[in-house]
Order: sequence, then structure tokens, then C-alpha cells
Amino acid sequence: MSVMDTSEGVFMGMPRARAVALTRWAIVATAALALELYGRFFADPAFMQPVSAILRAWIDPVLSDARIIRALMDAVVEIAVAYALSIICGATIGIAIGVSNFARKSFLPIVLLLYAIPQVTLMPLFILIFGLGAAGKIAFGFSHGVFPVIVNVVAGMRNMNPLYLRAVQSMGGTRFDTLRHVIFPNMVPAFFVGLRLSMTLTLLGVILAELYVSTGGIGYFTRLFAENFNPAPLFALIGSLATIAILFNSLVRVAERRLTPGARAPGKLNLSGAKSR
Amino acid sequence: MTVGDTLIAPQASVNPAISIRNVTQRFAPAGGADGVLALDNVSLDIAPGEFVCLLGPSGCGKSTLLNIVGGLFKPSSGEVTVAGRRVDGAPHPDEIAFVFQESTLFPWYTIIENFRIALKFQGAPKSERDDRAMEALQAVGMAGFARHYPSQLSIGMRQRVNLARGICVRTNILLMVEPFAALDEQSRMVLGEDLSILLAKTGKTIVFVTHSLAEAVFLSDRIVVMTARPGRIKTIVNVNEPHPRAPDFMLEPRFGEMRNDLFALLRDEIRQAMALQRDPLKVRA
Repeated sequence: MSVMDTSEGVFMGMPRARAVALTRWAIVATAALALELYGRFFADPAFMQPVSAILRAWIDPVLSDARIIRALMDAVVEIAVAYALSIICGATIGIAIGVSNFARKSFLPIVLLLYAIPQVTLMPLFILIFGLGAAGKIAFGFSHGVFPVIVNVVAGMRNMNPLYLRAVQSMGGTRFDTLRHVIFPNMVPAFFVGLRLSMTLTLLGVILAELYVSTGGIGYFTRLFAENFNPAPLFALIGSLATIAILFNSLVRVAERRLTPGARAPGKLNLSGAKSR
Repeated sequence: MTVGDTLIAPQASVNPAISIRNVTQRFAPAGGADGVLALDNVSLDIAPGEFVCLLGPSGCGKSTLLNIVGGLFKPSSGEVTVAGRRVDGAPHPDEIAFVFQESTLFPWYTIIENFRIALKFQGAPKSERDDRAMEALQAVGMAGFARHYPSQLSIGMRQRVNLARGICVRTNILLMVEPFAALDEQSRMVLGEDLSILLAKTGKTIVFVTHSLAEAVFLSDRIVVMTARPGRIKTIVNVNEPHPRAPDFMLEPRFGEMRNDLFALLRDEIRQAMALQRDPLKVRA
């Protein structure tokens, strides 16, 4: 059995897949236990509290305070809107740039230049234009999330086996047929790479904006807990944000598995049992 | 059957399926230099139902010639007519189908979907597409794999399906660019045999580019031997053996003789081609 093979066989008397899951949970449990011990016996309670206290703080005050729930929901909406805008605009701009050599050569360097600017430095500008409310956070999240979509869509349209194009041409396919039946399906895996990167960056953008300028959102509460030396609800709140991030990322993964055409999707089962090569 | 039977001039035919007249192809580099002369004044008539192999050293312009016949390139000069229509750098998907070297099945579509879009591009009526696809798959013994994705098939199976896609569009002419190059020798032999049987049934005109001498002798009615760059027709070898051909043909002494004769013809050209690779600007006058 090879080192890489984790999907089949038996490991320490149990199916390998279960052994893998068990190991994963064991790592999480060990880390939690270590933090618990550290918080209980070694740390200054003004900076760190045991995991059990954080869990208690998660139920009260974090999940029982209507204002915090409201702030979390606002963050979810901001992330969702910024992400949706990133996908729609990113795909549209990416396709427009990728569809011809002329457009790619003229526009892509500019896009890459903008992508390279650390957006945090421009945050005051965003706040000036879009204000302190949700619009500013959505705009800032969008400014992070749109670029990976554009860049990966363009790359996906370029990364093409020239024989496929010649085949379509020889079969009498038009330019539109080529786009629809070859270039777009060929682009899908790269598109999802862009979507995953974009998800991470949109989250980052929205949360950064929240932390810096929020007057009543998540940022307000994190600052409130941090400045009052109240680490238990602070970590509980950060844990909630992490959970939201994990949920969004799983959503993208499920979409990727379902929407990638052909037997190329990550984790998709091989129907015939024949090995792909 | 030895080289004594070869014909230097293109075989005259009353109504050729493909007529190649004085085709010259020069690939001009940017900057207006002279460029590389890939094909030099090639003329050839191919009769309906004939199986013709183009054989020659790498870079002699075999594939270029095939692409010109198929309308994928426009020649620098000369002309090609197919069924009386001039091919001028535009594909004629109702007349000509290509089978490419590597499998060009689209990995995002199942086998049957791949066939459907080929038929759709060609303009086949929607109601007929599935029947025609299944018929072609049956002909190559792959009907059971219609709903599989290409990645779920072995290379040999994929190449079989690739061939069937070329057949399902029911063109009179099939152009094949080293279709079996990716296969091991045994699979090539078996697929070659199947191809010979298929041809005898369908009566298609086939032009086939290969590097395999045995494949050329086993499949062809005529073998066009080309020179190193610039590609010209060196000689044409006739193989007088009716289709479908059985594997026993390969065991006959004349099969071995023909193969050896072909190699003798090619050897100098291959050396010349290798010299050109070392010194790409040197072009034989």
C-alpha cells in the first residue's frame, strides 16, 4: 500500500477512511486540551482564558446578545453580497478580457497591477466614497474578491489544448460553438480555483473593514471585548467568524463538485472503476 | 511486388475524390524573411475509396499537406479540390472528417455528448444524432461506453472512440493524422485490422499520415513517400491487396519486402531531415 493511498484498506484494525477522520479529530482535541490547560494554569486571565470558558462565553453573551447576532448576520450578508458581486463582475470582465488576444494584452497588465496593490492602504478612500455602513464593507470586500476571479478566468480561457480548437474547426464549429463547447467547459476548473481564492479574500476584505471602521458591527464588539480585557467572548466571537468562513468555503466546494462537467471534478467518483490517466 | 512497381507521376483518375495541384506551402517568419519551404509543388490525385498513406521523415510536411486538404490552412500557392469543390482554407465538414493524433474527445462531455456535438456542428438533424452515434460506436465495439467520460477509458479505447467519431459524421473522406501513434504496437495492429474491415464496408476515401512502415503497408492501397524538407513526392508505392486485410497479410514474404523497400527509400530522407534539424536554415536546392 502506497503512502499516498488513504482511501482504501485497513489501518490499525479499522477502515482507513475512519482512521483518517479519527486522527483529524484527535489533533483538534489535543490542541483544545492544550489550550484549556494553558488557559487554566499558566495564562493571565486578562489575555487568555481556557477553552471551556470560551465555550461558555459563546453561549452567553455572544449567542444570547441580539446585537451580536445582528452584527454577525450583517457580516454574513456583506460577505455574501460582496462575493456575489465579485463572481458576476469577475466572470464578466474575465471573459471580456480573455476572449481576444487584443483585449488580453491591453487590459490584463492593468488588472494585474491593481491586484498587486495592497488594498488596505486604500481603505480610507473606500470609506470616504462608500461611507461607514454596509456599502463600504461590501465595496472593500469586492475590491479583494474580484481580482482572483478575473485572473483565473483569463488563465482558464488561455490554457487550452490547441488540438481541441483545431478539432472544432475541422468539424465546422463556429466561433460561438468554440466558446460554448470548448473554451467555457475547459475554463471551469480554473474558474473554481478563482472562486476559492476569491472567497478567502472577500472574507478578509469584509472583516478588515469591519475591524477598522465598524460603529456597531463585529468590529465594534471585538474592540469592546479586547479593550475591556475580556478574552473569552472575544475568542468566541472570532470563532463564530471562523465558522462563517468555513461554511462559505464548504459551499464553494460543494458547488465545485457539482458543477464541474465531466469526470474532472475533485473527489468525484469514477463511475466505471477504471483508473483515470 | 517491389519498388519496380512504383509510379512517379500521380495516378490519373477520371473523377478523383481529392485533387492536389501544385501545392506549395511556405511558412513565413515575422519580418519578411524567406521563411521555411514546407511543401514544394506537390500534386496528387486520390481516387474515391482509396486508402493513401503519406510517409516521410519528421518535418517533411505530411501533416501540413493533410491540414491543407482539410481546409485548416490555406496553401501559399496551388489548389486542392474535393468532390469538385475548391478547398481554400475553409473546412468542409460535410465532405471531410479528421481523426487526430491524440484523442481530441472533449473531456467535459461523455462519449455520446462528444458525438452529438460533432454531428450538431456538421448540421445533422437532431433526431438522427443519437442513432448515428450509437451506430458508429457499435462499429468499433464501444457501444457499451456511450455514457462514460473519456478519462474513464483506456488510451486504446479512447482512440477507438475517436475513430468512431470520425466515422459517425458519414463524410466520404477521412483524414487521419497518426491516429494510432499513442498506442502500443499490439493495439495498433488490432485497430489497424479493424480499420481495414470498416473501410471495406464503408468505401471511404482515406488519407493517413503515419511513421510506421508496417502500418503503411498493411493499410494502404498506395503509399506516398515524401522527401525531407522541402516536402516533395519522392515516389509512390502500390500495394495490391484487397481490403479487408487479414493479419496473415503481414506474414507474407512480400509484406516484409515492401517494408524493407520503403525503409531503403526513406533512409536517405531521414538522414537529410536530421541534418536539417541540426542546421535549420540549410534547405536543399
